[in-house]
Amino acid sequence: MTKPELVALARLKDHFQGETAAYCATALTAEVGSRFGISASQELPSRGLGTLLVVGGGSRMDRAKRWRTLESPQTRLIVVPSLWGSGAEVSPIVALTEGETKTILMGPEFLPDYRSVWPELAARLPPETARFACGDSWSHALEGFLSPLASDAVRDELAAVIRELTVLPLGNDPRWFEPSARACAGQAKASVGLVHGIAHTLEGRLVAQGFKGWGHARLCSTYLYPVMAYNVSCNPKWPEQAAKHHLDTAAIDAVLKQLFDAAAYRQLLPVLEAAWPQVIRDVSSRTNSALVRPASLDFFRQVAT
Amino acid sequence: MGNREKLKQLLTDIFLLDPSEFRFDLSREQVETWDSLAVVSVAVGVHETFGYHPTPEEATAIKSVPDIIALLEYKGIKFD
Repeated sequence: MTKPELVALARLKDHFQGETAAYCATALTAEVGSRFGISASQELPSRGLGTLLVVGGGSRMDRAKRWRTLESPQTRLIVVPSLWGSGAEVSPIVALTEGETKTILMGPEFLPDYRSVWPELAARLPPETARFACGDSWSHALEGFLSPLASDAVRDELAAVIRELTVLPLGNDPRWFEPSARACAGQAKASVGLVHGIAHTLEGRLVAQGFKGWGHARLCSTYLYPVMAYNVSCNPKWPEQAAKHHLDTAAIDAVLKQLFDAAAYRQLLPVLEAAWPQVIRDVSSRTNSALVRPASLDFFRQVAT
Repeated sequence: MGNREKLKQLLTDIFLLDPSEFRFDLSREQVETWDSLAVVSVAVGVHETFGYHPTPEEATAIKSVPDIIALLEYKGIKFD
């Protein structure tokens, strides 16, 4: 079972203890407040609480995880993702990009106490956001599956997730929530790879250079297809590995092509070229399924043409 | 390219060394970038370059460039 425990939305109030408040986006405060009968704010509480309910995306959940652990460890933390992909609801890692600074905190104390799924939230996402979130989920599942640190058991677990993802449409569909959480939990037992190495390296740089709308999920969506092509070019055993775990490589390839945005990829190529020395040093890149070398950049230049 | 040159290229890439810094008698403690993640990279790179995938036990037992050569020669890969 993926931790923390998954609780039905209708039973969520049973898990509130003591004074309870919600932390969510402004657009949701009225609805969350009335649905659960608690006060809701877009700001983190200024003091300790019995329970904090978080409804939001990965960054909001991670800010709440950090707040609970560092400022109010007695608070019960319940999370309801408004978006899939980050896996923050099942992750003991806090990853926050604030300005150009990326903060990573890790430990079991950061794991929320309960989680739930609010299916109606999926329909409200901007279609592009939902699509990028699908790419984020796919990146966790595939990079975890291919990780050189993955055991056979982890590969089996992630192969089951990949089979589920393969039949889901790339867009607003609440069925993404649960397999996405399992993809993140699975990759946490192995590693991610070059897609995440690129995303982690470029995120802050793109903000600093004034690029808009290039969050982690979009970067993962954009680079997953080229990175998979690179991995296969270095290690042609992918079809064999996939067959062993009953994965349909043609169907997976088709999904990755749908996620790929060639124009956006070309637009970012100069940034990738400049950042390549840092990309190859990134922890995630160094656990990629294929070795990432200084000269590997040539492959990614060719993709652009 | 011979196997010695292939190994040199592989390890200079993994450890981010200048080719002039590489020696065939280097040991792990002499290379600052030969950390635990580089152990994973060596296993992946050896597989890609020489077709043999070291087991986790073999990968963690490698402490020097001569250890890599000895392992590969034991698996029938020649270093002249």
